[in-house]
Amino acid sequence: MVKKMSDHYYEEEEFTESFNGRTILRIFRHGWNHWPLMLGFIVGIGMVSLMESYMTYLTKRIIDEGIIPGDMTAVWSISLQYMLLFVLFAVFVYLFIMSAGTLGHRVQYDLRKQMFAHMQKLSLSYYDRTTTGWLMSRTMSDPTRVGDLVSWGFLDIMWAVMSIISAVGFMLWINWRLALVTLVVIPLLAVAAMQFEKHILREYRLVRKLNSMITSSYSEMINGVRVIKSLRREERNLGQFGELAGDMYQASYRAAWLSALFLPVVQLISAVGVTAVVWFSGREFQNGAVTIGGLQAFVSYITFMMWPIQELARVYATMQQAIASGERIFSLLDTKPTIVNAPGASDPGSLRGDILFDNITFQYEEGKPVLTDFTLEIKQGETVAIVGPTGAGKSTLVNLLCRFYEPSAGTVRFGGRDYRTMTLHSIHSRIGMVLQTPHLFSGTVLENLRYGRLDATDEEVVAAARLAGAHEFIIDLDEGYETQVGEGGVLLSVGQKQLISLARAVLAKPDVFIMDEATSSVDTLTEALIQQGMETLMDGRTSFVIAHRLSTIKNADRILVIENGGVSEMGTHAELIRQRGHYYNLYTKQFREEKAEAYGLELAPANGNDTNLSLAV
Amino acid sequence: MSKQALNLEETVVENRLISFWRLLTGHRLLYLTAVIALGLAALAQTGIFYLLRYFVDTVLPSETLAVQLPWVALGFVGLALLQGGFTFTSGRLAAYAAEQIALEVRNYLYDHIQRLSFTYHDNQQTGELLQRATSDVEALRKLFAEQGVGIGRIVLMFAVNFVAIVAINGRLALYSIVIIPIVLIIAVYFFKKVGEVFDAFQEQEAVLSNRLQEHLTGIRVVKAFARQEYELERFEDDNYEKFRRGRRLSKMHAIFWPSTDVLTGLQMIAGFYIGAQMAIEGTITVGAFLAYAGFLGQIIWPIRNLGRLIADISTGDVAFTRIKQIMRETREPLAEQGTVVPGPDGLRGEVVFRHVDFAYDADTPVLHDIDFAVRPGQVVALLGGTGSGKTSLVGLLPRFYDYTGGSITLDGVELREYRRQELRQQIGIVMQEPFLFSGTVRDNIAYGAGRVVTQEEIVAAAKAAAVHDVIMSFPKGYDTVVGERGVTLSGGQKQRVTLARTLLINPRILILDDATSSVDTETEAEIRSALLTLMQNRTTFVIAHRIQTVMTADLILVLENGRIVQRGTHDDLVDKPGIYQQIYDLQARIEEELEEDLAAVDGYQNGYAMVGSR
Repeated sequence: MVKKMSDHYYEEEEFTESFNGRTILRIFRHGWNHWPLMLGFIVGIGMVSLMESYMTYLTKRIIDEGIIPGDMTAVWSISLQYMLLFVLFAVFVYLFIMSAGTLGHRVQYDLRKQMFAHMQKLSLSYYDRTTTGWLMSRTMSDPTRVGDLVSWGFLDIMWAVMSIISAVGFMLWINWRLALVTLVVIPLLAVAAMQFEKHILREYRLVRKLNSMITSSYSEMINGVRVIKSLRREERNLGQFGELAGDMYQASYRAAWLSALFLPVVQLISAVGVTAVVWFSGREFQNGAVTIGGLQAFVSYITFMMWPIQELARVYATMQQAIASGERIFSLLDTKPTIVNAPGASDPGSLRGDILFDNITFQYEEGKPVLTDFTLEIKQGETVAIVGPTGAGKSTLVNLLCRFYEPSAGTVRFGGRDYRTMTLHSIHSRIGMVLQTPHLFSGTVLENLRYGRLDATDEEVVAAARLAGAHEFIIDLDEGYETQVGEGGVLLSVGQKQLISLARAVLAKPDVFIMDEATSSVDTLTEALIQQGMETLMDGRTSFVIAHRLSTIKNADRILVIENGGVSEMGTHAELIRQRGHYYNLYTKQFREEKAEAYGLELAPANGNDTNLSLAV
Repeated sequence: MSKQALNLEETVVENRLISFWRLLTGHRLLYLTAVIALGLAALAQTGIFYLLRYFVDTVLPSETLAVQLPWVALGFVGLALLQGGFTFTSGRLAAYAAEQIALEVRNYLYDHIQRLSFTYHDNQQTGELLQRATSDVEALRKLFAEQGVGIGRIVLMFAVNFVAIVAINGRLALYSIVIIPIVLIIAVYFFKKVGEVFDAFQEQEAVLSNRLQEHLTGIRVVKAFARQEYELERFEDDNYEKFRRGRRLSKMHAIFWPSTDVLTGLQMIAGFYIGAQMAIEGTITVGAFLAYAGFLGQIIWPIRNLGRLIADISTGDVAFTRIKQIMRETREPLAEQGTVVPGPDGLRGEVVFRHVDFAYDADTPVLHDIDFAVRPGQVVALLGGTGSGKTSLVGLLPRFYDYTGGSITLDGVELREYRRQELRQQIGIVMQEPFLFSGTVRDNIAYGAGRVVTQEEIVAAAKAAAVHDVIMSFPKGYDTVVGERGVTLSGGQKQRVTLARTLLINPRILILDDATSSVDTETEAEIRSALLTLMQNRTTFVIAHRIQTVMTADLILVLENGRIVQRGTHDDLVDKPGIYQQIYDLQARIEEELEEDLAAVDGYQNGYAMVGSR
């Protein structure tokens, strides 16, 4: 099979190095889809930063118009203004938290919805190439980062920019000469912030990398603890781990003290600004160009300014992560499904009729053909058993038949019609499938059965369960058809799950039936029920069984032996036994195992005329 | 070789404060200095406001303004430097202490976990242990790095600034903190409440995540039934619920922050108003008013965040409790004092079991009255079904578990007298599930040797284990990385690498547990011959599945429910009525039936041929 993408793939690409403008724009557009919310927080945060600056200005007025001239009425009226402003301020704070918070969650919701919908269209080959873990983090963690950027990230940028602009505006308004002097501080602050963020970010990346190494080190130790103990590796393992933990200590200590240095440096720079104001204010004060309140306001504005700058630096760091997340999300959304309905594809109404694998060439990987010019005709109602060792490629034929994969040359014909002229839905909905490890969804037995045909009535569901031989055990369950099956059906035995998935297939009334027999043993009664259910389903239907049980194999109309991806032998049981080839070997091995199981013996893998045995009490 | 990790087992006790204090051992002075430095930084900040007061009250109106101005400016820079310096000192020291503690805890946990008993590991889930060793340690680190100093910071800032206001005017100070208890109560209440809503949100995230996981594992079923639409609807429900709960979370924040904004805002304005009144009345100077405005901000700001800090601390505390549970487990002693160490030539390998009983815990006896003797170099085969006790029996030899009754002697010395470490060096184990560590093939082969191994030795071992050719077929040969991030080996290949590993250890006693069960037919013969090489001149215990091994074994023990029910050689047992004979007969019967089954096909063919010829 195709090699899966490593689960670690995504961990290594946590950050993007460069700012991709198109990705940012695309992320922004996702936010703009809910423009009232975006407008809400832009207005909210804009007003909040303006008001913050204006409050400092009001304090100045209390001093200059109230305290200095000794006018208590002025103090009262300005305080009143101040109070009203605070109430208004609170309203806008509510507005921006509410809209940004909602927008963030909304964008996450949208992205997840889109991704999930898109994933429904992707072909099975995509899922064979991509690990569940990868898709999980695409759908679960990446939207969170993007959602945060669209809302809180943009909000913080807005706030920082607006605050700086309005503070500068007020300073210019109070005394433009003094303001120009202090403006020197802003670029200094910005440069310091960027420099720091660059270094801190580098350390944090190292910390994250080391952290994931520490986690896998722990995981390996816990999983292999028995081997470690028997090989007395404790000391040396601790030595190796100690080095890793030491590196982690180095990196995270460095990151921590760099961060600790950041704030003091920024504070110091703003102190320089304050000093400059004090220095130059002497002359201005004597000219009467600046008041005591004005001085106070300047000091406040300058010391305040370091917060927006710090915020910008922080957002810059998270932005890189969020953009990397965005890129991965969009790469998933931009993946084109490899198998789509051809133009003009239609529903044939039925898949009954002879099936023809018509000159098929197929490969999972370029240059490694699995089937070459393969032709096979199956009569309507015939049962084909597919046998072969694990991993030999038995599911290839099934994948092609279901059009989960398409052949690179040739085609499959149902009743003579090329299946590429049919819609995917029309094919899938008419093929019934029972998998080896039957997958159930969490929910009740009834819900799982109804998965076969969503509009089936309760009576029809029960009838199908009876036909499949599942009814008896279901009504013996605590809550019958309403029993919860647990996640993936864990609360049921394998045999029970298989019976339910048989019933599910019966309910779907498929034209073609595909079954992957379970290898794990089930008790004799369940086994008999499963056999009965299978026969019900195979009756009159063209059926493919990836077979593991001798009785199924022997009863098939035709047996295909698959080895190394290709069909190595084909014929009836008797024909193949006489050939004394692969089938013969497989059959005798299987025979011994099945008998051993029946007699309560448990047989180790055997070849030729070895006698292997052990006990299974 | 490696520095021994600190023993933290004694460090942690039930009382969490004492535990925290003890964890700080060696860093207490640093940590206290960090907190004190924060106080000094707050003092410097206060100094800046005082200087501002002096500047406004004294310098600005004075005649010698131009002369004094540089000094005042220098004063501002100096105080800012002090403030920055102390803030940084505090941050750096706290980081140092916290990272050191994290390092100690990480090292200790790693070592501790690998030294906990087999019984402990039998009952633990990997994911659970892993989470405690990683995320919980991170939470503990934050507790020291952020929350511990955070509390100190808030308390000191409050204290210093409050005192500074008192120094300006006592009555003003009292008026300035009226609202604080209310804000504090609201904040603590809110963060407790928000914790619940956040949990509900996280819960839904888990639900959505499970839904997705289930969907992805069942993708074939979805596709086979063409149920994409239906799945979309179900996903939509959970996804929307997550959005709804997220919005609820935002709403809570959107109510909390503005309402405390209004409260603290009112407090500030009230302070300003009263301060202004005092300034106009002449109770305080204009400069004092300016300084007061500064102090007021410094008092009110931290209070709102106190609620969050308390919530974070309780999270950290939960994490610490979880770590503590592991720390307080008892280790398996590896090098007890005053016990027997095998001589320089190692053991001979004579094993005698006398009436041995064993139970994992008092209620569930596993082995009963096990009694047998093995001479050096003999092969013992253990036969029995699942739960018959054969794995437990061999687990007693390396002292993975200690027997609870009777006696086991090795070369005439009671097994309990041996130190585990040296004992295990003499015992090679090939497990049912071969386990390789991530690293190169070479590392894995040399893994257990405990000494420097030459390339020749490694190749020789690999050849003897019939895995050399496989290794050479990889592009990087012995440097091929296996395990999680490397090449995936087949079960048989892994098994042979572990055989090579065991060969290099050169043990006197060998335990083979189901060694070929994960192997495909082709490689089985090769492994069997590798096993025979390995077994030469070694006392071998085989958990047997293979009649050849059983047939040639010097002693066959048939186990049932933890007792030996039959013993002897193949020749002894095959003629005696009993389980062994039953197995043997059944085996023969299967072969007969197979012959008959195959003959039926051939018979049909013959019959058909005859009909055809007529």
